[in-house]
Amino acid sequence: MSQPVHEFTIEPLDWKPYVKSVDVETATVEQLDALKITPSNKKISDYVLVLANEPETLKERTPLFNDIMYSEGGLSRGGREIGALAASFVNHCIYCASVHAARYIQLERRPEVVDEIYDRGLDANLPEFEQALFNFGVDLTAHPDNVGAYQFYHLREIGLDDLQIIDLIHAVAIFGWANRLMHTLGEPHRLD
Amino acid sequence: MTAPSTNDVIDTVLGLDRFPDLQALREQRAKLKHLSQTSYQAALRPAEARNFSYALRAALAARMAALWKSQELAAHFRELLESEEGGSALVSIANPGNGAEGADTRLVAILAHVDLVTLSPKEATRANIEKLTAAGLDDRDIVTLAGLIAFVNYQVLVVAGLKMLRDN
Repeated sequence: MSQPVHEFTIEPLDWKPYVKSVDVETATVEQLDALKITPSNKKISDYVLVLANEPETLKERTPLFNDIMYSEGGLSRGGREIGALAASFVNHCIYCASVHAARYIQLERRPEVVDEIYDRGLDANLPEFEQALFNFGVDLTAHPDNVGAYQFYHLREIGLDDLQIIDLIHAVAIFGWANRLMHTLGEPHRLD
Repeated sequence: MTAPSTNDVIDTVLGLDRFPDLQALREQRAKLKHLSQTSYQAALRPAEARNFSYALRAALAARMAALWKSQELAAHFRELLESEEGGSALVSIANPGNGAEGADTRLVAILAHVDLVTLSPKEATRANIEKLTAAGLDDRDIVTLAGLIAFVNYQVLVVAGLKMLRDN
């Protein structure tokens, strides 16, 4: 039996729920319908099977998440992953951070950015562009009631246009959602 | 299938009819705007309320928005609460200053979880889920509650970010 992981790690992790996941064999028509629109080329994850307890919500959430992270144009996909990482570090979602650190490296081929975030956490000292994205993600996640002109002008300074800013806002916000599910409904384990 | 809503809650609470540029910007991401609204329907007014009445959902949402001092959303959810059957009995819990005096064990546990996962999700552990189970919530109830908390926090962040764009 593997031990749960309580510290940030970049290694790939497994996730084990605290509550029961839906059994595909006995799932309702509505649950199967909600599960169908998740990537079907691989085994359905325990996380998605837990969320299938609430199929009406899952059915909207899956395409929303995909559109926020993968839509065409606007902020680069790597830029959105920095927003995801910032939120996951504030909210201490170890599993989310591991997945999206790997995705950032895969997209941008810049492991040093991720290494710095893992070394220094919220005090990471990053290149100007990534620093501004990361700081915005931290600020919006930790103090949504205190985001204003200061944050806005930092994003403008690195050259973001309105569409790129709105993409960053949604990438951070959807991890305010995802972290609150993944970190509270289960915990990461080292792969067996 | 959730019916498309004619009223977008985020546009409404931010008064974006007076800010056509920002409204047009949101339309550039029409799909996610629509899915944010259908997610609202699924979290606050699903087809079946089951063990979380519409009034309780609205009251908890108002409480979370108020915890983050998101005045626009808190006002919206309080209004929703007042329109729901049984809403008047739950007005006090919409205010985060109020605990759950006189409330049953289940509601006390729900409020504690809502407050923790809204403001300090990183502090949540397996023990918090066990407390919900001990208070009588089943596995589906726990996923329902987590989904409501997660959605409202998403909406708070989106509104905060869009407000930054609106005002600068």
